[in-house]
Amino acid sequence: MVPLNDSNGDRSDRWEAQLRKGCLEMAILASLWGGRLYGLEMLRTLAERSGMDLAEGTLYPILARLKAEGLLVSEWVEADAGHPRKYYWLTAAGRRRTREMVEAWSNFSSSLSALVQPISGGKK
Amino acid sequence: MNTQPALDIRIGHYLARLESALHDLPSHQTDDIVREIRAHIVERLETSPDRQATVERVLASFGDPEDLAERYRTEFMLARAAHSYSPWLLLKTTGRWAMTGIRGFAVFMVAMVGYSMAAGFYLTAMLKPFMPTKVGLWVGRGSFDFGVRDSTEGVHELLGAYYTPVTLVLGILAVIGTTLLLRLLIRAGRSKQGKLQAL
Repeated sequence: MVPLNDSNGDRSDRWEAQLRKGCLEMAILASLWGGRLYGLEMLRTLAERSGMDLAEGTLYPILARLKAEGLLVSEWVEADAGHPRKYYWLTAAGRRRTREMVEAWSNFSSSLSALVQPISGGKK
Repeated sequence: MNTQPALDIRIGHYLARLESALHDLPSHQTDDIVREIRAHIVERLETSPDRQATVERVLASFGDPEDLAERYRTEFMLARAAHSYSPWLLLKTTGRWAMTGIRGFAVFMVAMVGYSMAAGFYLTAMLKPFMPTKVGLWVGRGSFDFGVRDSTEGVHELLGAYYTPVTLVLGILAVIGTTLLLRLLIRAGRSKQGKLQAL
């Protein structure tokens, strides 16, 4: 009984991790919708507004790729605190891509909500 | 109790390892990456009461410098390969991707099979003029294959003088088909590349 529960728990954890992983790129792009941010700010924004606890070692390589793909641009800015920060913001192509992803996401989640509504609604 | 110089040495050592692991990237890119990660660590430390614990936590979150470098390299290659038609770059990229998991490995196998098939067509096309009676499209009972045969008993050759032009065209189609398929798979797969930890 106990091992069975454990393995089910593992499986649903893994499923949740996969789900979050799939949305990662959209979440990073979406965090920049309101304007420029630097890496640490992005991590904080994602944690505060989406509960995504993203590892540093995951974020920066993805930012490098999004930049190489022309979806983001970056610039070093000297902060008041005396050390520089690398800010990122969306290019026109990045905004287009973000909008497409968000649209696909909204369509997908609203069509699924109808299906899962009786389950989540019936939850005690 | 760790002092500031000891922490600086720890951070410096991490960044030096990262820098050397990134040696094959253009130096402006390496410098930029190292500078950004240094800035991140410094800022994390500024607001932290326990600096030593923070350094360890942040470095752990970045992961081994060699792994981090590998992630950068994979991401850069995926960015380039998704817009590339070069079989060599696609093969190299999927080879690297194959190291990171089953999905990458599957795509790498597609690359290997597709490009090997193309190479096979080219090779036999070139051999045909030298071994006209042994190279061909052999059709017999239960067999249908391109290539070199020692024994031609029970099979007959179908293409004759058309063998070389036909296999050259098939080779080109195999390269183009594999290349387009790989670009598609890379584009579909790269958004799932990021790893989310500590959930």
